[in-house]
Amino acid sequence: MLNDIKIMMKSLSDIDVRIMLCKSAFEWELLAKKYNALRDEIEAFCASELPEDVQTALEKTRAYLVEKKGELPPLDLSDFFK
Amino acid sequence: MGLIKNIGNAVKSEVRDYLLKIVEAEKEAPKKPEAENIQKPAETKAEQQPKVEEKPVVKEVKAQPERVEEVVEVAEKPRRKEIYPISNDLEFVRVSYKKNQDGVMIPKDLAELIKMLPLEEYACFVKLYCFALEQRKNYGYWGGTLKRKIGLDQLTTAEFEELGNNLAAYGLLLLEQLTENQKTFVLYVPFDEESMVKLSTAKKPEKKPEKPAKKQAPKPAPKAKAEPETEAETQRDEDIPGKPVEGMEDDEMYKSYKTFVSLEIDKAKMRVGRANFDKIYMEAVKYIDKKYGFKVLSDSDKFKEYLTNYYISAFDIPTFENWKKSKG
Repeated sequence: MLNDIKIMMKSLSDIDVRIMLCKSAFEWELLAKKYNALRDEIEAFCASELPEDVQTALEKTRAYLVEKKGELPPLDLSDFFK
Repeated sequence: MGLIKNIGNAVKSEVRDYLLKIVEAEKEAPKKPEAENIQKPAETKAEQQPKVEEKPVVKEVKAQPERVEEVVEVAEKPRRKEIYPISNDLEFVRVSYKKNQDGVMIPKDLAELIKMLPLEEYACFVKLYCFALEQRKNYGYWGGTLKRKIGLDQLTTAEFEELGNNLAAYGLLLLEQLTENQKTFVLYVPFDEESMVKLSTAKKPEKKPEKPAKKQAPKPAPKAKAEPETEAETQRDEDIPGKPVEGMEDDEMYKSYKTFVSLEIDKAKMRVGRANFDKIYMEAVKYIDKKYGFKVLSDSDKFKEYLTNYYISAFDIPTFENWKKSKG
């Protein structure tokens, strides 16, 4: 179980690195999907209780994602109004 | 051999002439406008020269008043620009501090918010914050006494009023007009269960962007206490930007409303400038994540919908219902 958690944490830190390098809304969406999938996977794996460090890491990645989305150029809404 | 030599010399002279022409053309290029004027024989040149010299003089005379006008405009503008709230989702709670504080501790989130304020508003906020700790409550009467107590004696009443209105427009202060001469304030402080006691929740102002110099319109209902608690809650929910607008029919009217919103957002973008629009977008992202969760943020369609509603609220764009009414 410890190894599985380590692998998941590694995937999370991979996402962290990619967030830093992300430069477009498209890339961001892919990372967000990856994060959501990983989060679901972790939550399913640790069904009873999420370890504190994993919880912290998840929240940290989420915060990075939100911050990055805010830093990217504002989303173009033109197609939304068509 | 002689023939080849002659051809060689002819080619050389042709190339030299060609190069000379290019050099001359380059030299004449910047002088072209003047050269165009000077096409007449040498005798008329003397007559034309004064005319050529006169032109720039006339231009200079004309240019001066334009510059003066520009300077006048620049001097007037700063006071007229619109202020947009730094944060839209702050909850104003009247609190009292449980005990006297040893020092003045500004929470990190609040410090992040207020560092975006201009110098005068920043100073006023910090002074009010210190005063709130000193008097162990974050609300009170707004006026001359407060101005004196927080050490802003040197300001005129009008200047102090303007500072208050500006802070209110930035969304960090709530001003309530009780009577014609009486005003109360509630300072935004992040609620901390350990050191504070929640007394009541103050109602948020309806309009988000306000002009700083604008005087506040007196409110019809003096006290929110008279209203039932639940009604106040729903009213507050309605004020929250980004709330999805429901019940919009998918008809021609709605399509033209969408076009209208699109244009209004574009106009607002031009008005506030790129940098400010980026900040507003960043604020919208944080707000949507906090309010509706990360799933909404990562869902492109839903995010666009919520973002549009956020812009509608932040830029004071009429809602579908209001717009429909205005169209008659």
